[in-house]
Amino acid sequence: MSGFDLSGLTASFSGKRVIGPLSLQVNPSEKIALVGKSGAGKSTLIRLIHERVNRDSSLIPQELGLVSALSVFHNVYMGQLDKHATWYNTVTLARPFAKDRTEVNSLLQSLGMTEKFWTPTASLSGGQRQRVAIARALYRNAPMLLADEPVSALDGPMAHSVMALLRDGFSTSIIALHDVELALKYCTRIVGIQDGQIALDDTAERLAASDIMSLY
Amino acid sequence: MALNLIRKLMVSSLFCVTAATASAETFVFTAIPDEDETKLVERFRGVADYLSEQLDVEVRYIPVKSYAAAVSAFRNNQVQLAWFGGLSGVQARRLVPGSEAIAQGVEDEAFETYFIANTNTAIKPADKLSDLEAPLKGKTFTFGSKGSTSGRLMPEFYVRDTFNSKPEDFFSRVGFSGNHTRTLRLVEAGTYDVGALNFQVWEKELGDGNIDTDAVQVIWKTPAYPDYQWTIRGDVNDRFGEGFKQRVTEALLNLDNPELLESFPRSGFIPANNDDYEPIRKTAEEIGILD
Amino acid sequence: MLSSPTVRTSLVFLAIALVGLLFADIAITASNPWRDLGNFFLGILTPNFFSSEGLLTALLRTVAFAFVGVALGSIAGFLLALVYRFLPVRMFCAFVRAIHELFWALIFLQFFGFHPLTGVLAIAIPYAGIFAKVYSEILEEADPEPGRALPPGTGNISAFLYTRIPDCWVKMRTYTAYRLECGLRSSAILGFVGLPTLGFYLEASFSQGLYSDAGAMLILFYVLIATMPLWVRPKLLPVYILGAPFFLGEGLPIVWGNVQRFFTEDIVPAPLRNGEGLAGLTPWLNDLMINEAMPGIWNTIVLTQIALVATGILSLLAFPLISNHFGGPIRRNAGHVALVIARSTPEYILAYILLQLWGPSMLPAVVALALHNGGIIGHLIGRQTNSIKLRPDAASGLNRYGWELVPRVYRSFLAFLFYRWEIIMRETAILGILGIYTLGFYVDSAIQNIRFDRAMVLILVTALLNIGVDTLGRYIRRKLALQTMPTC
Repeated sequence: MSGFDLSGLTASFSGKRVIGPLSLQVNPSEKIALVGKSGAGKSTLIRLIHERVNRDSSLIPQELGLVSALSVFHNVYMGQLDKHATWYNTVTLARPFAKDRTEVNSLLQSLGMTEKFWTPTASLSGGQRQRVAIARALYRNAPMLLADEPVSALDGPMAHSVMALLRDGFSTSIIALHDVELALKYCTRIVGIQDGQIALDDTAERLAASDIMSLY
Repeated sequence: MALNLIRKLMVSSLFCVTAATASAETFVFTAIPDEDETKLVERFRGVADYLSEQLDVEVRYIPVKSYAAAVSAFRNNQVQLAWFGGLSGVQARRLVPGSEAIAQGVEDEAFETYFIANTNTAIKPADKLSDLEAPLKGKTFTFGSKGSTSGRLMPEFYVRDTFNSKPEDFFSRVGFSGNHTRTLRLVEAGTYDVGALNFQVWEKELGDGNIDTDAVQVIWKTPAYPDYQWTIRGDVNDRFGEGFKQRVTEALLNLDNPELLESFPRSGFIPANNDDYEPIRKTAEEIGILD
Repeated sequence: MLSSPTVRTSLVFLAIALVGLLFADIAITASNPWRDLGNFFLGILTPNFFSSEGLLTALLRTVAFAFVGVALGSIAGFLLALVYRFLPVRMFCAFVRAIHELFWALIFLQFFGFHPLTGVLAIAIPYAGIFAKVYSEILEEADPEPGRALPPGTGNISAFLYTRIPDCWVKMRTYTAYRLECGLRSSAILGFVGLPTLGFYLEASFSQGLYSDAGAMLILFYVLIATMPLWVRPKLLPVYILGAPFFLGEGLPIVWGNVQRFFTEDIVPAPLRNGEGLAGLTPWLNDLMINEAMPGIWNTIVLTQIALVATGILSLLAFPLISNHFGGPIRRNAGHVALVIARSTPEYILAYILLQLWGPSMLPAVVALALHNGGIIGHLIGRQTNSIKLRPDAASGLNRYGWELVPRVYRSFLAFLFYRWEIIMRETAILGILGIYTLGFYVDSAIQNIRFDRAMVLILVTALLNIGVDTLGRYIRRKLALQTMPTC
């Protein structure tokens, strides 16, 4: 697929501009990490981009957007609600079909989450909930990933394996990350945000952790 | 849980089907609830059995909670026969063209209302209501039911006519006890100073020894007027066969079971017709109960 | 203290009630009220469970009407909740719930007669209006985030089923179960107008002074409500709902011509029916307004305001009965029983009992409304105090009550009270049927005289009055920033 030319991105809260105006050219197969201080506008930027490219992206918002009362399976299945007829979705709510169960199950297996298949997400830990949201994005299987701190609640090794999954699962991705090390390791391009503007934009190979730290 | 919801929705569609249907061949009658319910149920079950035997159809009595409910059930053809008071009968026959008064109690040709007072009021019985103006003024007063002839219509008429004022202006407090037995009990207990009730109920309770005559006494009797009657719908012959109305009338007129008659209490039933109740209609219009 | 808006509002309402007392008809007119009350309690202590063959049937019917009515009401209410954002729908719902179940029953009785449908619709219709409002509030509170994370192109129904319903399910279920309890009360009092539920027999026993029979019925009713958690189980619900329609009783068949007649003739104002045209309508309406509606409205408002303040005072006195901060477990359990009885007895039945015992005036109505509503609010506030942690050296006794607890719960107390304002008024109007000169008295009189045109106008007036008070109550709650959950 072709890239995106995102220009004229702006956002204001109560009359005060928090983002932009800025432009971002996203090329196919690029894995972009958005880095910067908290409050720099990363989440807002993710939201703005999502509004632009809605149809073609899998989203992992910071709040995860899980339905607490529904099981892990159903939350993951929601990634493909648009691909099925209403009656199919309704029946699935009561009694899921074997095909979907297998598919979701194997996906969760890769995230190490099989034993909680029918547990309502309300009773999961923060890390588990985060993985459910990730599984939903993977299940959605859009060409592009938009994620806002997707591994913030995961411990070291798990964070790495999930980042690897996300890297392999999507050809293009834009991920807001506060962990500089993860950004350098799993992304190809680093975009630094400061006061709602792009303060840094370079490939990961040409940057070191210390270059990025100046943003913080 | 979603399954439950779906189940619920499916169940809702079943509700409509379940509306029960009573047999169309049952002849149903009712009566105005002018006395204690237990007494009424006992009395009219007896009547139902008697009619069932005489008419050779299933006969059912249904108790109602108000005079208006009796009239409405009659009007709506959910009952075909009713034991009405003078006023409720007039109301019902106005609403159901073709319906007829077919029988009345021997006593109903000349019915009376008794005004009764608690003895604590020290009101002395009188022959003329106008003599009681001073002692009655400002007392508390209860009618029976709002739709009663002997418990409301006639006493209200005589209060207005004699004292030239509305009952609620003449008395300090006006209530509706609901039925004659309760009027008796409330005045006996002193909840109200004065009340008006069906003279037959008074005489029967007195005869049965159910009245504390030290606590309550009759202070005035109204002139006679026509009251209770059996009224039947005009379309019963279409439904129950030719001559059905005639057979019901004869069955009622021939009722001679002393126990059953005693429960009314009536000494027997005699023929009646709609014109007998013209005086009641005029009185009701005068008071403004009928349009 | 006077600078606090909640205290000022309370004082204004207190003053209004005190002025109302000057105009109200408050008296005990029975010459021996205490002897009758004694007999009544004796009857409760010596219940006669075998008085009437119909008692168990009546209990069964009471439950059946409640189930069918509430189930239909909740389904209709749910569908209405989906379109609740449209103003006409909101107005429709406000209107149908402003009319009391008993008024609905009186209306349906005129054309459906003693058919089960009369009782079912009398519960289902006002409940649908209430369900619509509460369900839509619950749906609105659902977390919007999952909806945003949905893939674009997801169908509306799928989105609704996956993101809204699961989130709201528990709240909706809790509220519906709670409404079922209200439904049992509504169902019981429908007997007072002739449907075959508990009220039918209660009225008969009471009016004949058969207190032991009446006592047995009341005890059975309390047991029925108190044991609801035991027999109302989610798994059994489908059984109940499927089975209930078969236990409504036969009644009498509907004659459909009556329905048409009711709407095309009976409720058409008399002057129009008689061809007098609009010229005749004005004097007819004037007469109705001046002689019936106005006195009815005045008495309804006076009684409502007095009952509201009496409810408030009683709630504040009652909540320590079940509060952990006072007394031991024995006294608290006794308190629970007292409050359960107070709130499970429909105010209509309480008022009916007290009217029989004390004679007619506004007093029995005020006491009945205060007991029932005070029982409900006292229970809710008492439970709320149990979640308050006091410091170990907090004052005890009256000081604890006045300084530690009342200030902490006062806002939610007011919230409940203003929420119930409209409910109290709806009940006040209906108590007129018992002979107190509120709007219900005039409605009942019109029906007794077979003047449904007048009855409908008066019911309409009652509904508008309720909607007005409801709006005012919400305005005050918003102004004082009081929040509450719905009660019935």
